[in-house]
Amino acid sequence: MKLKVFLAVFACKLTIKLLRLLGRGGTAIPGKIALRICPDLLFQLAKDVKCVVVTGTNGKTTSSRIIEEIYVKAEASYFANRSGANLINGITSIFIENSTLTGKPKKENAVIECDEAASKEVCRLINPAVVLVTNVFRDQLDRYGEVSGTLENILIGIKNSPRAVVCLNSDCSLTASIAEQIPNRVIFYGVDVPIYKNPVSEVSDAPHCIKCKHEYEYSYRTFGHLGGFCCPDCGYKRPEPQVSVTDILSTELSFTKVRVQVFGEDDVITINLPGGYNIYNAVGALAVSEAVGFRRMLAKDAIASFTCGFGRMEEFDLGGHSARIILVKNPAGANQVLNYLAGLSAETVFVCCLNDNSADGKDVSWVWDANFEKLADMSELIPEIYVSGIRSGDMAVRLKYAGIDEDKLRIFDDYDELIDAMKNQSLPVIIMPTYTAMMDLRAKMSTAFGGKEFWE
Amino acid sequence: MKLSICHLYPDVLNLYGDTGNIICLKKRLEWRGIDTEVTLLPIGANADLSRFDLFFIGGGQDFEQEVLLTDLHGGKDKEILAAVEDEKVFLCICGGYQMMGQYYLTHTGQQCDYIGALKLHTVGSDVRMIGNYMFKCAEESSGSTIVGFENHSGRTYLGEGVSPLGTVLHGFGNNGEDHTEGARFKNVFGAYCHGPMLPKNPEFADLILQTALSRRYPGTVLPPLGDGLEINAHDHMADRMEKQ
Ligand SMILES: [Zn+2]
Repeated sequence: MKLKVFLAVFACKLTIKLLRLLGRGGTAIPGKIALRICPDLLFQLAKDVKCVVVTGTNGKTTSSRIIEEIYVKAEASYFANRSGANLINGITSIFIENSTLTGKPKKENAVIECDEAASKEVCRLINPAVVLVTNVFRDQLDRYGEVSGTLENILIGIKNSPRAVVCLNSDCSLTASIAEQIPNRVIFYGVDVPIYKNPVSEVSDAPHCIKCKHEYEYSYRTFGHLGGFCCPDCGYKRPEPQVSVTDILSTELSFTKVRVQVFGEDDVITINLPGGYNIYNAVGALAVSEAVGFRRMLAKDAIASFTCGFGRMEEFDLGGHSARIILVKNPAGANQVLNYLAGLSAETVFVCCLNDNSADGKDVSWVWDANFEKLADMSELIPEIYVSGIRSGDMAVRLKYAGIDEDKLRIFDDYDELIDAMKNQSLPVIIMPTYTAMMDLRAKMSTAFGGKEFWE
Repeated sequence: MKLSICHLYPDVLNLYGDTGNIICLKKRLEWRGIDTEVTLLPIGANADLSRFDLFFIGGGQDFEQEVLLTDLHGGKDKEILAAVEDEKVFLCICGGYQMMGQYYLTHTGQQCDYIGALKLHTVGSDVRMIGNYMFKCAEESSGSTIVGFENHSGRTYLGEGVSPLGTVLHGFGNNGEDHTEGARFKNVFGAYCHGPMLPKNPEFADLILQTALSRRYPGTVLPPLGDGLEINAHDHMADRMEKQ
């Protein structure tokens, strides 16, 4: 066994070095090789590491980055994976990187972002101390099928995590339903009040009671199917959260200030990222912090100061005007970007980059489930919309039928031309790419305007 | 002029962006100065179906099928049958298409009875037929080439008197065996085509509208629209599949 672990770790470390020499970062190949040699390697390496696992449809990466910042503020020894490596191979790679050649951990803690489908296997192998479930939304359906399937995968993962404290979003009827099916200690977190004054209207991903299939009633909604749900038939309703946002005090261009209540105690926190959905990410991280047992002050500082980067509201300076990249993966995410745009008061150029590689979802029909009609109402504030990506044609058609004047649309087949166009005008730019479009565009923008490489 | 569209079960059959078809129909009428009224008919709601010109049914999640079937067999199935016989126009996608057939046989051998407006049935399998696909419509159904995305595990077999909507050029279609895709019976158009189907296939979208319009206002002809963006998106996918 020992020899196998050594060989696997050695082969993996060597591959990582080689890939770096070739100028390639963060891929799953090293972990894949290691798992070939020693299938239960992840279990062996994770045995003595205290892990937080973050899973759910949206907000995994941002939540993980905030939690990571809490570890930084606590000066705790930890490591974390990156979003591009959130399947079993990538997670194995990061554990190997943080182990000695004999398989002993170099750090005591780990913050692991984990894909929903992979979570059942990953949790079984690393036996996490804390699991955070952000939410369950309709994702690219060609990957996971229906939301009920995603929920099932997450539930199996938690059932495979017998010692974990489980932090669940109380406002998501799907996520909250996990609580009754597990013996673990649960901390609910949520938002007690509406977030947006005038949110886009959305199709709910979970209109019917998960238990009895009756239609839910809502006392308030934040966005999507999130909010104060209650089933009038069987009585299943939003559980009372122990960690919650009780008031939105101010929403600014680059941050949000909210009042929170944590196990009965009131406080005010500043979230160092705009966007209503980031309120959930912050309060979810706060719940994790409580579960781990950090001092509350640390979490508060971390939430006020963390930076995310990597396509999550990441900012680039185009030379006097800025561009922000907001990655989207599904209709719920796109609607949140549209909500964010609707809250802006300055003229902005909007950029959509739609790809259909497997990491984006091969079926691009989801863009019709997002409420791009909202853009037509903002026409004075958005003088131009640029469209790019492999499926720019589909994106342009979607925008045309959303009621956008065709004269406002500019299609770019090439990212260099797109970048030039963004640079050669003077308005701030909001870019909404899918995953692989973000990877490509971000690499080019980092070269052109400066920025970190993502494996650093 | 005005067309009345009924969106059946929008509360549960709302997956894969298929409501984009409604957006498309509405816009293409609006651009021609024709009014549209869209009525949503969720589970439990009732309306006189005879007053509508055009019906749309999309696809949904299995989770919600039970509630839906209860509602359907509570009388709506009879009304839908009557509307089909009355030559109303129906666009039915994926789950909605299967539902217009006689029954669905799950791969564990359970049979769900459907509306039975079209003589066709679907057999469940554990293999998913998924990906971009392309088919050529029969001449009676526009003769155009349709591009879209299919994602189904059910295999549909057409019975007597039901013609396929078209012939598969790339992908699986009805069952991955007989190269047929979709079904046409009277003015019912059924297909597995997500994407959604209509926006990138404007010729077919106009056939749907023209059929409904001719029935309501005989002799009316839809003027053409500038479909540059639509054709560009269509041709991009058609070229990609031809190269594969
Ligand atoms: Zn209920």
